[in-house]
Amino acid sequence: MEQLATPLLNGVIYGLLLFMVSAGLTLIFGMMGILNFAHASFYMLGAYFAYALQDVFGFWPAIIVSPLLVGVVGILVERYILRRVHRFGHAHELLITFGLSFIIVELVKLFFGNYPVNYRVPASLDFAAFTMGSLDYPAYRLFMGIVAIGMFVAIYLLLSRTRVGIVVRSAIHRPKMAEALGHNVPRVFMGVFGVGAAMAGLAGAVAGAFYTTSPNMALELGVLVFVVVVIGGLGSLEGAMLASLLIGIVTSVAVGIDASLADFMALFGAGDLAREIGGILVLKVSSLAASLPFALMLLVLLVRPSGLMGDKE
Amino acid sequence: MKSPAVLKMALLPGLMFASALATAAPVKIALVETLSGPQAATGLTYRAAVRYAVERINADGGWHGEPLELLEYDNQGGPAGAADKLKAAISDGAQIVVQGASSAIGGQITEDVRKWDLRNPGRELIYLNVGAEAQALTGDKCQFYHFRVAGNAPMRVNALVAGMKQDQALGSKVYAINQNYSWGQDMEQAIVDGAAAGGYTVVEKTLHDVGKIQDFSPYVNKIAASHADTVMTGNWGSDLLLLMKAAKTAGLKARFGTVYLDQPGNIANAGDVALGNYVAQTFNPEAAGEAGAAFMQDYRAKTGHEPTFIEPQTVFGMLLVGEALRQVPAGDGKLNVRKLALALEQASIETPMGKLSMRAQDHQALLPLAVSVVSRDAKYKADGTDMGFKPVKRFTAEEAAVPAQASCRMQRPD
Repeated sequence: MEQLATPLLNGVIYGLLLFMVSAGLTLIFGMMGILNFAHASFYMLGAYFAYALQDVFGFWPAIIVSPLLVGVVGILVERYILRRVHRFGHAHELLITFGLSFIIVELVKLFFGNYPVNYRVPASLDFAAFTMGSLDYPAYRLFMGIVAIGMFVAIYLLLSRTRVGIVVRSAIHRPKMAEALGHNVPRVFMGVFGVGAAMAGLAGAVAGAFYTTSPNMALELGVLVFVVVVIGGLGSLEGAMLASLLIGIVTSVAVGIDASLADFMALFGAGDLAREIGGILVLKVSSLAASLPFALMLLVLLVRPSGLMGDKE
Repeated sequence: MKSPAVLKMALLPGLMFASALATAAPVKIALVETLSGPQAATGLTYRAAVRYAVERINADGGWHGEPLELLEYDNQGGPAGAADKLKAAISDGAQIVVQGASSAIGGQITEDVRKWDLRNPGRELIYLNVGAEAQALTGDKCQFYHFRVAGNAPMRVNALVAGMKQDQALGSKVYAINQNYSWGQDMEQAIVDGAAAGGYTVVEKTLHDVGKIQDFSPYVNKIAASHADTVMTGNWGSDLLLLMKAAKTAGLKARFGTVYLDQPGNIANAGDVALGNYVAQTFNPEAAGEAGAAFMQDYRAKTGHEPTFIEPQTVFGMLLVGEALRQVPAGDGKLNVRKLALALEQASIETPMGKLSMRAQDHQALLPLAVSVVSRDAKYKADGTDMGFKPVKRFTAEEAAVPAQASCRMQRPD
């Protein structure tokens, strides 16, 4: 039982972390049609801000203030950079966020150096929540999961139950009409961009302490976040949640599977043949674990190009 | 004010001297490293070490009194960029190419250098490999103009096993987890091969994707399920850090035997997680004694930081070239690279760690190693923490050496 329970729990929590970062990305795309390449950079900024602030304020205030700061950065980016290039079309927006991601990485290197920084889980959360088999289950992982779920619930309620949510949703679907009804659509865009960035910042502030805070963290997660958004369906929050969990669980469980295609072919008596051919046929599933999300993306794009829950082309 | 004529007279001998030198082109050394992008941190440490070494060789008189010139190229982190920049280096007149980070790039450079040398007799290049540790480079890809001054997987693993065994930290069950490319596969093979000598069994082997995994906890579960006493890994960068952190937070009771734990930032980031784990190093200042302390001090004075990770081996590799250069006669003022390669095969120097020499058979350097444990008692602290690497066992170059691979059939010039 525990052989399956631990990987599942690990997968769910990793998936929730992925969701925290991809939620903002998918919201921003859904609303403004911008594929924000700099999104994972906000994740990194969140971690670095929290690292810089924790010396001054301590851990808890740092992980609250850091996302707010990242949100402000997001708002400034939208207001003074993206809005200017908006009229030139999506290609320009995409390119400018691409360039922005490089600039942010270089700035981070300039201020914090090339190597991972000393940002760690605080002592008050550095204990085992429970023991499964011979291994402890770190409480901080549960904390990350709780933060992610809390965030999902808050965003979901905000969008579906409040007046602000109505305006935001209408601005997504019919921006011209929303504007005609007297809503300041550019300001809504700015707000959504800021909130999306802040969510990525929160994810970074929380996860940076558990994993590593280094100038490469945006790059390491960035690609995967795009995969999540594509699988979930561009613009769909629920889809992002579903895809994040799916990817988290698939990669986590796959690590424990030592079977290869040859073992599968052995069922039909062709095992020896497959082993003779070698190559991809004897590659263990476990060694491919980190590549499976990309295979999954390929599959989704082939079968259902709009993504699992997406309705946009 | 002095008369201009007097000034001219005073300058004249100096000018004549300078022009005599200018006729002989200086020996150019091309560093083709990853100087930008996500892997730049490592490339920049190689650059710091090469700059330091060139300065030191020049202070000692360079090549027959003429300073070496260092050219720097950014390979942008990939073999394609390296191939491009190698061409640029050749057209700029470089005769020695230095590179270390990434065996994939090393493989590209050694192939390109081999082909160039084959097609351009008399205008050969030397590739000084100061860090690409893949076995193939001194195995079936070995060639006369490639020289490696770094360890390799069997050397590192054998040293680790002996050191950890002496400390009674090895245990009888070893788990091998490595990155799925040439270096990681070499490490896995070396760990399996070392089982008999080390008296352990390899309970499980894992190869995983390079640099793509954020969450190593599924792997830690696998390690726990195997009841391993020791985890041996050639992982570097985030793949090492994240693995060790995941193991620590899960309360895994296994020690780590590593190759790259001394990468800058690792100890600071891992914190207490690093304590009690082992690393096989090419340089440890505490093990190197007074000479080590002097080297540390001089390096810090010149570069602003202490030499760690791959920097010492890079410096020693360059100094070995400096020594070989001394053996090559000045001739007509142009360096004969073939003679340099022959001299390099015979070269040996005394480093703070002991004697370092080149093995002519496969051009793998024979270099001393140290196995160290992360401890608060270490004399030199790492990354500004209160922890450092305490040496537990030293190996002379002879003790650390492993036989040349049978697959190396080197074509030698006559």
